[in-house]
Amino acid sequence: MTTTTPTTAGAVPVGAGLSMFDPVFIGIDEFGQPVYLDVVYHNLLAAGEPGGGKSGLVNNICGHGVLCDNTRLVLFDAKLVELGPWRDLADAFIGPDIDHGIDILRRLLVVATNRYTWLLANRRRKLAEGDGMSVILTVIDELAMYSTVLGTKAQQEEFSTLLRGLVSLGRACGMPVVAATQRPSWDIIPASLRDLFGYRAAFRCTSLNSSNIILGQGWAEQGYTASDIAPTNQGAAYLLAEGGVPRRIKAAYLTDTDIYNIADYAAWTRRPTGTPAPAVDPTEWEMAA
Amino acid sequence: MSKSSPRRFGGKSTATVTVIEAKVHRSSARNAKMAFILTAVIVGLLSAVVAASYWHPIVALFVGALIGVPTGAVVWLLVRVWPVIRLLWWWSLEVFLAVVLLTCWVQLANHTPTVVTLLVVALVVGVPAAIPTVRRQVIAWTWCLIVRHRLRVCFAQFIIANQSGSLPLILWARPTPVGERVWVYLRPGLSAKDLESRLDKIAVTCHASTVLIERASESNAAYLRFDIKRREVLNARVGSPLVDVIDPTAPVSASPLTVPTALDLPDVDAPTITLPAQGKPAGKKPATTANGSKPAASSASDDTDDVSDWI
Ligand SMILES: Nc1ncnc2c1ncn2[C@@H]1O[C@H](COP(=O)(O)OP(=O)(O)O)[C@@H](O)[C@H]1O
Ligand SMILES: [Mg+2]
Repeated sequence: MTTTTPTTAGAVPVGAGLSMFDPVFIGIDEFGQPVYLDVVYHNLLAAGEPGGGKSGLVNNICGHGVLCDNTRLVLFDAKLVELGPWRDLADAFIGPDIDHGIDILRRLLVVATNRYTWLLANRRRKLAEGDGMSVILTVIDELAMYSTVLGTKAQQEEFSTLLRGLVSLGRACGMPVVAATQRPSWDIIPASLRDLFGYRAAFRCTSLNSSNIILGQGWAEQGYTASDIAPTNQGAAYLLAEGGVPRRIKAAYLTDTDIYNIADYAAWTRRPTGTPAPAVDPTEWEMAA
Repeated sequence: MSKSSPRRFGGKSTATVTVIEAKVHRSSARNAKMAFILTAVIVGLLSAVVAASYWHPIVALFVGALIGVPTGAVVWLLVRVWPVIRLLWWWSLEVFLAVVLLTCWVQLANHTPTVVTLLVVALVVGVPAAIPTVRRQVIAWTWCLIVRHRLRVCFAQFIIANQSGSLPLILWARPTPVGERVWVYLRPGLSAKDLESRLDKIAVTCHASTVLIERASESNAAYLRFDIKRREVLNARVGSPLVDVIDPTAPVSASPLTVPTALDLPDVDAPTITLPAQGKPAGKKPATTANGSKPAASSASDDTDDVSDWI
């Protein structure tokens, strides 16, 4: 599916040698320490007001994903431009087309179920790095477009239901979900779905209540509220991850040039071997099924 | 603390006020009296018992009283001046620093000519002030000193603790990039939950922007950590290490896109918009049946507003 222009450089491209099982760098905290997330085994929800920096955070994770060995990306972006740079590197890129999105989610759910059967057959409960199975990273920017705007009400509900299935199943079988949305209120993400996201990033919000909706009830009262982030400080967020207490972070930012450079490089390094042969995985899944 | 507590027995204030206030702070005078009586009786009896094995019991009683009453008096005095001792303890570091600085100054002034004295002072003050890192360190540690006093003011002024009015132990403090971090050991009568409802007031008292409270120990709920924030440090743009692992000269790769030509409103004919059909890129109308909440409630006139809200 990748149509790269022929390599002109004489050099042999070398892959970045990253793995999705490596910690993913997403920014720094107030002590100047780097913040890493273990994205493979956690789902991440980023939310906050428009212009807060959600797409910036999501692009960091995509950028890491495309440079990783044995990693597949499934991208949902109704706005096209935020995740569009990675479209040739992704196994599926879904624009404003909810039918396509539903199809892909169904396929992902089948894969998840098959992987669990495989794990069961191998007397295991969790996928590990040495298993040779690809990590399938699902990234959704502006989730609200799919769950409230595009398609009919029935389609939106189906989308939400399938996504809930993927979010609850994907965690231990190497199929994490990263989603960004504005205000995750009940009509956009039901609380039952929101609570499945282990990592939450609250970018600037307008009210204590919105911040509480993202991080979970009660944090604003304890002083952890994303409404105290200055509107001019884009990319600053409260991250609820390991440690159980929200941390103030600043997300790293990739400029458009950076993003396209990374995408070009990833396409270049992936081309000779291709995305690890699609021939490997189907046999594995058939074996398992 | 003692100044605000009325005399429960001697005071002539109104009954309601007396009862409430006396519950909160028992007067130091009364404490001292109790301490005097207890010490005098216990020490006196003990010495009388010991003395009885040497002398006649009646003589022993007098001896006991002679020992007990002065001991009680000493304890009474200690309890009476306790507020002063406590105050000195609170300011001990500042007092110590002031003494050291003054001594240095006096010694310097006595042993060197004025010009040299002034030169030394100018160097000692000027060099740290001129080196940014040193200056910032000095300012940060000074804030640590200040903040411990401000926190004590919080506890003494508006966080009512317990009947005896004991204040939490304010332990050490150290600077952080955003402000200070202070460890506090709570006394009975307070909990982290109580403090959480007053975070804004604590921030005001500490001249800070926000204050966060976290438990500093898994096993002890009394041991807390106050994070006082007075600076925003996360303003600068953070780069990503990903740009360092790639080669920016990689050949451009992109799949061809069919770019639509209708990029302006007049270019899109009115009939081409099919209202009920959603999900196509050209469809600018949000679903009128999207959900039970906002989009449906808003009328067609602010459709564009809705779309821009979502995207
Ligand atoms: N981490 C960041 N550091 C600095 N600026 C940022 C950061 N993230 C976002 N921005 C700025 O904010 C703008 C909007 O960010 P974006 O990620 O598109 O917001 P959202 O997706 O939340 O609407 C960007 O164009 C960029 O200029
Ligand atoms: Mg965005």
